[in-house]
Amino acid sequence: MREGFRKELKELKAEVVAIGRSVVERTRDAVRALVDGDVDLAAQVIAADDELDSRCLGIEEHSLEIIATQFPVARDLRLLHSLAYISMHFERMGDLAVNISKAARRTADRRGPQTLYDLIQAQGNLVHRVLEAMLEALEKKDLELAHKLPDLDEPIDHLFKQFFRELARLQDEEDIEWASSMVLASRYLERIADHAVDIGERIVYMVTGEFESIGEAEETAEEASAE
Amino acid sequence: MTDHALADHFREPVDDHGVKIAVRDLDFYYGDFHALTGIDIDIRERGVTAFIGPSGCGKSTFLRCLNRMNDLIPGTRVDGTITLDGEDIYGEGVDPVDLRRRVGMIFQQPNPFPMTIYDNVAFGPRLHGVKKKGELDEIVQKSLERANLWKEVKDIMDRNGLSLSGGQQQRLCIARVLAVEPDVMLMDEPCSAIDPTSVQKIEDLMAELKDRITIIIVTHNMQQAARVSDETAFFLQERMGEAAELVEFGRTAEIFTSPQDRRTEDYITGRFG
Repeated sequence: MREGFRKELKELKAEVVAIGRSVVERTRDAVRALVDGDVDLAAQVIAADDELDSRCLGIEEHSLEIIATQFPVARDLRLLHSLAYISMHFERMGDLAVNISKAARRTADRRGPQTLYDLIQAQGNLVHRVLEAMLEALEKKDLELAHKLPDLDEPIDHLFKQFFRELARLQDEEDIEWASSMVLASRYLERIADHAVDIGERIVYMVTGEFESIGEAEETAEEASAE
Repeated sequence: MTDHALADHFREPVDDHGVKIAVRDLDFYYGDFHALTGIDIDIRERGVTAFIGPSGCGKSTFLRCLNRMNDLIPGTRVDGTITLDGEDIYGEGVDPVDLRRRVGMIFQQPNPFPMTIYDNVAFGPRLHGVKKKGELDEIVQKSLERANLWKEVKDIMDRNGLSLSGGQQQRLCIARVLAVEPDVMLMDEPCSAIDPTSVQKIEDLMAELKDRITIIIVTHNMQQAARVSDETAFFLQERMGEAAELVEFGRTAEIFTSPQDRRTEDYITGRFG
């Protein structure tokens, strides 16, 4: 009954969930580093990225090995394929957390208006909520929760737009480099949440075998900024 | 999105090939034993259809219904209809010998006749009245070429067919079937008794032949079913002593990625069987 094979699949999935957990923590730390101007914390997030990348690569390699040696089909194949895809999303989300940390480093030596920090923190909290829901949906194969991800993502996009409006109110003497770093950070957060929604689609495919677009057509940051 | 392009790919119909064999409400009995029940299936022309399922699930029995091989077993009975090109193969006036020419069969163990390679391939055409040497030569060469065996045997045509390797013997049997120009070739575990290189050759051969004939293969090797077939049918005898049924039939790519029936999924992922 292929017990060894099933155990291997289970362990692989547990590792992907663990990587996801680590991405959630890094995102939270990156936002904290940005808001608190904590360059040490930012440096930690940046330094940890290599390990995250190699764990994600490990998932891809392991999936390929299992495909080559065990000839998985149907739900086993969908699981493996989805795990490889999801770990790729995690790797990119990790990169975005690094980018936020770099923005934290660039902006740490000065303080801008508090409203913008509050907005970033609020956005970070909402992203945290989406990521937690995504992880739970993945762990429990919870379709209902996976379908809720786009709704949880929506306010994040709104906050990103609001961030732009706030920036427009800045006075000429405000530091342009600071402002652009902050807006980029806000955009990175919004992208992290978009990845979570994409992972939700993967979870649906993994469970049902149906490719289904669960969210609205994605609006790019460029489109948002053009409004 | 790439995902959805992929989804569309999966949903594409196989092709516009017509139905070669249509089976409706087929039940099959060995004496008192009800072996198959309620089989409905359309086998498409010029494609490969694979029958899979655990041992004893009736897939070989069903295969043998398609050219009336089961007629040779006393006490068997068929209910329902099987049509080949719209004609009932169990209808009155159908000659089973002629049917078996149109619907040839390859068995698990290669079974060349104990005669020369040439005579093995010429056997069928001679039986059907081809007498001229030149004509027979042409049929023999063409059949061996189509079976991808010609190059290996052209200089040893007068050797006994049984002197060939297992894989070559199986291709000789395929050439023997091809020599009578069948419409359909039934293959009952054709690769389970031969070496991997020969398996590869036979699988390649199936891919070439399916442009001209309809192939149905029974196989225990799920990877083989996935590799060679366009459509896959999963048969299952749910409980010992009960009649087996056709659980699921569909495009092979779909069956092996997203089967609709839980029993198919459990079988192909190795959870039972």
